[in-house]
Amino acid sequence: MIEHIGPQLFNGLVLGAFYAIVALGLSLIMNLTGTINMAHGSFMTLAGYLAFTMVSRGTSFWFALIAAPLIAVIVGVIVERTLVRPLYKREPFYSLLMTFGLSLMAEEIYRLIWGPNGVPFSPPHALDGAASLGFMVFPTFRIFIVVVLIVAIVALALFLTRTRFGLRLRAAVQDSEMIAALGTNTQVLYAVNFGLGIFLAGIAGVLAAGMLGLSPTSGNNLLMPAFVTVIIGGMGSLFGSIVGGLLIGIAISLTTLFIPAASEVSMYILMAVVLMVRPRGLFGEEGIFG
Amino acid sequence: MKARTELIASAAVVMVFAAGPVLSPLAHLDISIVSEVLVTSIAVMSVNLLLGYTGLPAFGNAAYFGLGAYGVALSVKYLDVNFIESILIGIAAAFLGGLILAPFLLRRRGIYFGLLSIAFGQVFYFIAYRYTDVTGGEDGMNVPRPPLALPSAHVAVNELAMYYLALVLFVVAVIMFRGLVRSPFGRTLIAIRQNETRARYLGLNTDRFIFVALLISATMAGLSGAMFALLINFADPLRLDWHQSGYFVLSMILGGAGTVWGSLVGAFIYVIGHDIISTITQWWQIFLGALFVACVLFFPRGILGTVDVLLRRSPQAFTDDDVDAAFEAHAPGEVGRGV
Amino acid sequence: MASDAILLEARGISKVFGGLRAVDDVSLQVREGTIHALIGPNGAGKTTFFNAISGFAFPERGQVTFRGTDVTRTLNWRRVAMGMGRTFQTPSIFPELTVDENVRLGVRAHAKQAFHLRTPGGAAKAAVDGRVDELLGFVNLTAQRDRQLSELAHGSQRLCEIAMSLSTDPVLVLLDEPMAGLAEAETDRIMGVIRDLRLRLGLTVLFVEHNMRVVLSLADRITVLDRGKLLAEGTPAEIAANEAVRSAYLGEGVLDHV
Repeated sequence: MIEHIGPQLFNGLVLGAFYAIVALGLSLIMNLTGTINMAHGSFMTLAGYLAFTMVSRGTSFWFALIAAPLIAVIVGVIVERTLVRPLYKREPFYSLLMTFGLSLMAEEIYRLIWGPNGVPFSPPHALDGAASLGFMVFPTFRIFIVVVLIVAIVALALFLTRTRFGLRLRAAVQDSEMIAALGTNTQVLYAVNFGLGIFLAGIAGVLAAGMLGLSPTSGNNLLMPAFVTVIIGGMGSLFGSIVGGLLIGIAISLTTLFIPAASEVSMYILMAVVLMVRPRGLFGEEGIFG
Repeated sequence: MKARTELIASAAVVMVFAAGPVLSPLAHLDISIVSEVLVTSIAVMSVNLLLGYTGLPAFGNAAYFGLGAYGVALSVKYLDVNFIESILIGIAAAFLGGLILAPFLLRRRGIYFGLLSIAFGQVFYFIAYRYTDVTGGEDGMNVPRPPLALPSAHVAVNELAMYYLALVLFVVAVIMFRGLVRSPFGRTLIAIRQNETRARYLGLNTDRFIFVALLISATMAGLSGAMFALLINFADPLRLDWHQSGYFVLSMILGGAGTVWGSLVGAFIYVIGHDIISTITQWWQIFLGALFVACVLFFPRGILGTVDVLLRRSPQAFTDDDVDAAFEAHAPGEVGRGV
Repeated sequence: MASDAILLEARGISKVFGGLRAVDDVSLQVREGTIHALIGPNGAGKTTFFNAISGFAFPERGQVTFRGTDVTRTLNWRRVAMGMGRTFQTPSIFPELTVDENVRLGVRAHAKQAFHLRTPGGAAKAAVDGRVDELLGFVNLTAQRDRQLSELAHGSQRLCEIAMSLSTDPVLVLLDEPMAGLAEAETDRIMGVIRDLRLRLGLTVLFVEHNMRVVLSLADRITVLDRGKLLAEGTPAEIAANEAVRSAYLGEGVLDHV
């Protein structure tokens, strides 16, 4: 049992990186517009299926890894502009209901196009096999996943802290009226921000398809842990999403090892403990969301 | 005069349902589907109390509904209980679930409350899904109806009896619900929805009110879930899933948030619509999703909410103006609350 | 009229917002029976300070004492029970309820009936009805009692809000810019009500205000904030003559007619 702890910790890290990146996308959208995007998992699944179709038609995996999320982004921004945007001024549960409805439709549409059962989507041969990190041996694809997700997170961080647009985005989260007064087009911000969230979901979707499988509901399976991640990390904090994701990933992997039946429940126990000690979550900011 | 009109209208609705067993064959409806409408509308009412009246985005009420269902299923399977006892155990399970979750939920408002209610609501789903030995996991549990609680007379409860029991429970629920939302307690809940900051500056510990509202809501959802399991003779993890919570919220919005009878109207459309459309096409879920989208975009007040506004009667229905005002007054997604 | 007892005391209040010191080490004493004004140019931190006193947002540093008790971290609804009432810049009301219901909610809350599942009858009901009538009469809204509040003019909403803040029997009323957004005639009406708060009800009032005419004619004491710091404190005459205050307000033109 003990000798499994190392690999399982690594698996937890991979899983946690998935949760973190899905939660980051959710947080971006939630922080700026107050929308809980229930269709977030659907966009992951969409990117996964698009990549699957591309690869099965002979496109390279590497191209699909970028192209599939981008197509998901286009769909996402169209949805945001047409269906979600009119709800920003309403109470937040309306956009929650809207995206919920969209996820129901998406699930069924995927079933229509790609069939009700899972489809096999395997990573390219270059990523087959395992790599030794000296003290332990890990599957190459999983190491690749961790690297890509870390790159995505670092890129997001740089975008938010080093670019004019990113800075505006962060300022808009603090005070959308001020940004409007400064002349930044809030609507463009909303659309780009939504697209950014979907792009992160899309990348996670393609990678998850290769590791966790691909079915009409596969994206939704990551949605609930991502919600828990946002809560543990603290609403309003992107850094919190990263820490929260990794914590949950590790908690789930280790419980899977010892008490398989409690693997999901463990994240709730973690969430309950965090909320008891810190009602705002680990890095939740005071003031923004009460 | 108005009270009289309402009484007559209510009585007429109840009469129509009382004649249900005669009328439903004319509409080609199975009587058990109509029972399902009545039972479901109690769960929709439980969401209405939190979302429609108190303004809390309660997206986790399937947890209590499912606990009610599993309370019945498990007690029937593992304990030698009669019909009434099994329902009471279902309600108790839901109440306990509410008691466990409420302290976490009532710390937060707005979307954070929504997020917490979705996330925490799902915990029982995973338990039911994973503890296969006890709950049967994904396959669910059969729930044979236990005999009614008559000493030494093991009377089986048939569909007709279930129907009238559902009707009686529904009528009792409506009467109590109506009394509740019109009581000083209910007015306080409405006040909390409209302006919690002011409620607190009237010296009210709003957390306490929300705590009680959550428990009442959990109990109602539990009763509904218990009856539901006995009605369809089945309980499975999907009854605990967030999708189920979403269906309750949709039904509530369809019928009319913050209206007493809206829950029945919404449940009726949802259950009957599901029954009819799913026999015509296997792509029911697309219709359902489209219904969500259309309802949110074009019909946010729901049927009775719209009727109320047309009649300029109820001060409780949502209006876009109020929503806009509330939005402008507070940070996005958060009801101003202070400390 | 003014006794010497200190009803409310704030000592060294500081509050930071996003790296900005909105309120920096501000102290203030409100004596029983006075009408005390809190003024300052835009962005002086008046409302932030007010929020710290009323428990809307706790300060990072400092201490608030009310009726001799430390209430620095006391929850807002508890402060109300201790005798503190407050209004907000934008009237904080229940817009979809009638004037009567708005005030009744407060009266019921104070009578510990808010939790009841049944509307009490008999003497309890008569007591509530009587109190509602009294409060509506005080702010002169009896004629509009069955109107939905969202339909009424801003000034009437403000009056209703004041009646609501009185429904809990406070000894101290905090008014946050009570004249904000009001026409001249409405301003006079509210000024009359504020005078009556002390004259007829014997209450102590602390209010934030922009309108210097209102401040100078209503207040016994004035505290001036500027950029988060305490600038001056004194009687209206002292403040009007204060050089520092004049220069802080320079360009805003509010003291020109004094």
